[in-house]
Amino acid sequence: MGELRQIAIYGKGGIGKSTTTQNLTAGLCEHGKKVMVVGCDPKADSTRLLLGGLAQKTVLDTIREEGEDISLDRIMKEGFGGTRCVESGGPEPGVGCAGRGIITSINMLENLGAYTDDLDYVFYDVLGDVVCGGFAMPIREGKAKEIYIVASGEMMALYAANNISKGIQRYARTGGVRLGGIICNSRNVDRELDLLRAFSKELGTKLLYFVPRDNVVQHAEIHKQTVIQYKPDSNQAQEYRNLAQAVIDNQDFAIPTPMTQERLEEILMDYGMMDTADDYKI
Amino acid sequence: MSSLVEQAKFTCALGAMQTVLAIPRGIPIIHAGPGCASRQFAFLSSGAGYQGEGYAGGGQISCTNSSQSEVIFGGEKKLRATVEGTLKVIDGDLYVIQSGCTAGIIGDDIGQVAADFSEQGYPVVGVDTAGFRGNNYKGHELVVNAIIEQYVAAQTKQADVRQGLVNVFSVVPFQDAYWRGDLEEIKRLLTGIGLEVNILFGNGSKGVEEWRDIPNAQFNLVLSPWVGLSTAKLLERKYKTPYLHYPVFPVGLKETSRFLREVGRFAGLPKAQVEGFIQEEEKRYKSYFVSFGDLVSDFGCYLPYHLYTAADSIYGIGASRFLIEELGFTPKKFYDIDAPAQKTEEDIKEILQNIDERYTGNVSFEYDNRIIQDEIRKELQEEKTRAVILGSSWDKELARENFDSILVRLSIPVTDKVIMSKSYAGYRGGLTLIEDLYSGLFDDGMITNTTHADH
Repeated sequence: MGELRQIAIYGKGGIGKSTTTQNLTAGLCEHGKKVMVVGCDPKADSTRLLLGGLAQKTVLDTIREEGEDISLDRIMKEGFGGTRCVESGGPEPGVGCAGRGIITSINMLENLGAYTDDLDYVFYDVLGDVVCGGFAMPIREGKAKEIYIVASGEMMALYAANNISKGIQRYARTGGVRLGGIICNSRNVDRELDLLRAFSKELGTKLLYFVPRDNVVQHAEIHKQTVIQYKPDSNQAQEYRNLAQAVIDNQDFAIPTPMTQERLEEILMDYGMMDTADDYKI
Repeated sequence: MSSLVEQAKFTCALGAMQTVLAIPRGIPIIHAGPGCASRQFAFLSSGAGYQGEGYAGGGQISCTNSSQSEVIFGGEKKLRATVEGTLKVIDGDLYVIQSGCTAGIIGDDIGQVAADFSEQGYPVVGVDTAGFRGNNYKGHELVVNAIIEQYVAAQTKQADVRQGLVNVFSVVPFQDAYWRGDLEEIKRLLTGIGLEVNILFGNGSKGVEEWRDIPNAQFNLVLSPWVGLSTAKLLERKYKTPYLHYPVFPVGLKETSRFLREVGRFAGLPKAQVEGFIQEEEKRYKSYFVSFGDLVSDFGCYLPYHLYTAADSIYGIGASRFLIEELGFTPKKFYDIDAPAQKTEEDIKEILQNIDERYTGNVSFEYDNRIIQDEIRKELQEEKTRAVILGSSWDKELARENFDSILVRLSIPVTDKVIMSKSYAGYRGGLTLIEDLYSGLFDDGMITNTTHADH
């Protein structure tokens, strides 16, 4: 057992952060790793595939109903392959402060001793739009040191990734936070692989892995399972195992060099995206 | 702007809870964390000459005491419970919900909570007075405007204009430590020239009934350089009520007479009626004024003649004008401490330069009292002369240590005097200001009636 690696997953809303994180986690479990997944999204759907449904009571709901004097097993459930699953939870849409919620629940996890020595990995699956300081909590105060951004060849996904990199750069100056790379969750956009490689290079990082698009992912989701559990022999299951291996082997951690809007648009132009906006299909 | 402010003589927008308390049977309901309301009370009530809790202030103020749970999940539920409880246990005529910083940041919908209660027939108003919106001068306007928009507008849908009725928007209650006496005197003066007055706050007000009457006024009177202007403009839009903006708060004979003549003209009052009252008041004033002439001639060599003002633009301008115009003071420096908008700063400079051209280049918009004190101290030391400082209790040492300069407490905090009905407003207030000013000669026992002959 090596040192605990805490990893935060960011990316544009709807890009597939939760799906990728959970499938990646399943892959790591097959490698015999002990993993905890902390969902940092008020929707509380970051552990659904590992737990076989939204079976989890969130940290914040538990605190609200039972106060802060609770035991760890009230908020942590065991999922596929022995993963430990926690959902931060948060307020209803449109009220309260979800950012403060994340701060509170991560503090609670620490106080309750959730970070045990036998863990190899902790993943923070963070809400797509890092709208305030609370959503940066997982990378503050010496928690996650490693960040992966999930993106695709879609323009807005790259805008978001670039923007998130600005935040990482900010925290990298004062802390040890580093960008481990970009994970492409493919949307079958033209020249997607080339674009993502060029984008990653410009950002001072690398494309860690290119996860191809496969409908089996959606089927597995309907069955509330990761692909590795649902169709262990499928090609896609092997892709996620490979992704897990890439994360295990990754040694390249960089302070990102976010680009200007103009430069980003230039790259998009070079790969033909801006010209073919009308033909753009998902 | 300073990055760190020492001794600001105002508080934040939430301080407008004292504005609500200044309305007879007005009840504030505070949606903020523990401590906010009591700090406001300590600064604005105890710090304004020990004015006490009043009908529903101080320790009786309803507050949600929001904590972490309200921050994360939103505080509207707790606020609703607090409003329900307040309506049960505190008997009032108007309830004003005010949010503090935290509720303001997370975006609790105060207005909707208030609307839900007012739809059930309760007189409830909601206003976001998050501290970062500005100081309590701004907070005062926010609260007054919210009451008009949410309560008055719903109660009085159609204006039924009564000639001779005026609404007065002037000093900020409690921020002006003399507000009770001031508003009584303003009402007395305006009533004296033949107007009917909605003074809106304090003992001279009929309370919420007066507020409902606001749309029926012939005109609105803004008696301040900027505070209250937004209210007058709101009423102009809403009810087409014209307004008179008279920026100089009247202190003493000359300004008060000018003020009353101007109001009389604007209101179209019979000249003889206005002049009759003015003459009567001036006659009384002059007989007192003359009696203090002996003191001036006896103690002439001890009298200060330099004037430093470190107060807000309402009272500061009014009192400074009186000292310059009627008592012959030399204006040295005017520090406006109320942090007006940048555009308003130009207006205030112009008003002061019109009062005395020696104010040119000597008006500063500074609310850091340390900076103000350092500057005044330096000048007094250079000129080696005593002066009059229109300041606050914080400036007591500054005055004493510099040639026994005389301090008149014109701004809060006033923590070394008890203030009840005292006022420096109008004719009577001018005389009171003379009393306080020249009593300062004897404060430190330097001069007595027997010792002064030895000098």
